[in-house]
Amino acid sequence: MKRQQITAVAGIAALVIPVANAAAAGKRKITTIRRSVAGPQAVADRWGYVQVTLVVKKTTTTVGTHKKIVRKITGVKVPVYPNHTDRSVFINQQALPYLTQEVLQAQFNPNIDMIGGATATSYAFEESLQAALIAAKKV
Amino acid sequence: MHRVEHIMGMPVVVEVRDGDVPDDVFDWLRRVDETFSTYKDGSEISRLRRGDLALTDASDEVQRVLARCDDLRGETAGYFDVDAVGLDPSGYVKGWAVDEAAAILDRVGAREYAINAGGDIRTRGRWRIGIQHPREPQAVAKIVEGDDLAVATSGAYERGDHVLDPYTGTAPQGILSVTVTGPDLGTADAYATAVFAMGPRRAIDWTSRLRGYEVLTILADGRVLLTPGFPAATP
Repeated sequence: MKRQQITAVAGIAALVIPVANAAAAGKRKITTIRRSVAGPQAVADRWGYVQVTLVVKKTTTTVGTHKKIVRKITGVKVPVYPNHTDRSVFINQQALPYLTQEVLQAQFNPNIDMIGGATATSYAFEESLQAALIAAKKV
Repeated sequence: MHRVEHIMGMPVVVEVRDGDVPDDVFDWLRRVDETFSTYKDGSEISRLRRGDLALTDASDEVQRVLARCDDLRGETAGYFDVDAVGLDPSGYVKGWAVDEAAAILDRVGAREYAINAGGDIRTRGRWRIGIQHPREPQAVAKIVEGDDLAVATSGAYERGDHVLDPYTGTAPQGILSVTVTGPDLGTADAYATAVFAMGPRRAIDWTSRLRGYEVLTILADGRVLLTPGFPAATP
């Protein structure tokens, strides 16, 4: 964080100063601060959300009792990975998991050797495709 | 050769392409049933449930199985819990018994076989396995294809004991069936049971982070979710 103070001497400022504040008139103080703030996690690439850092310059101009503050974003920092290895480490640390999604479909007369699933009881087995497969092999 | 026998209350199909099916396989499964069945009063598990047997006096085999079930409770955030409604490790024992049966076939030299115990399957060699469609008994929802697979399925449509959510004691909603593939059928069996009990939201979170096993989850709303490495047959 940098801090710069510039004190302007009266006469250089080109402001219109109320006569009533003649005592403070002519003194203008400008304070400038640069600060990095963590921004919203709004940047998404295909590895997920990336947190950006904003560089904000805040300028405070004080003339007498009148204060004016101007904030300006002067920079946006995005994490940069100099080589593939570092990015892989980042991905692993994020451990972003995913699943693929499909729609349930039914395949009749499938070309298979065995059935897994609902043959837990003898009754279910007798009714099942597994029994039909075995019967077919006996033919 | 293929043989079918009814053991542990379910049909067990053993198919060996490159040899015979030895009696040893079925003898082993019957021994597992005698030791672990909750339907047999004299089994070690039944005696443990009644308090007639202390865990430290149980056979090494039972102690090892129950120790593995303890680990699985931790691995599944408590959703596979053999103590939830009285001691019942059958959600792991079925798959574990088949893993051991496969080892018997390995020892006699079989290299191309499939064991299907009530819908849980272990293969060696290349096999195409259809996953039962949860709503159409004569159809499959997905075909799994690969070498040396363990495939376990837990489903709402199975008759018999219902899977309960260990936290609520009620039947979970939202998932029609879960199929897990991986190196170990006992573990796959326990994972399938746990994921089914978790309900859709937790299932999505847990399965997407799982490593070493692949999962296919069929939701009641018709969505099918797969982990990226699930061995689905390319059509």
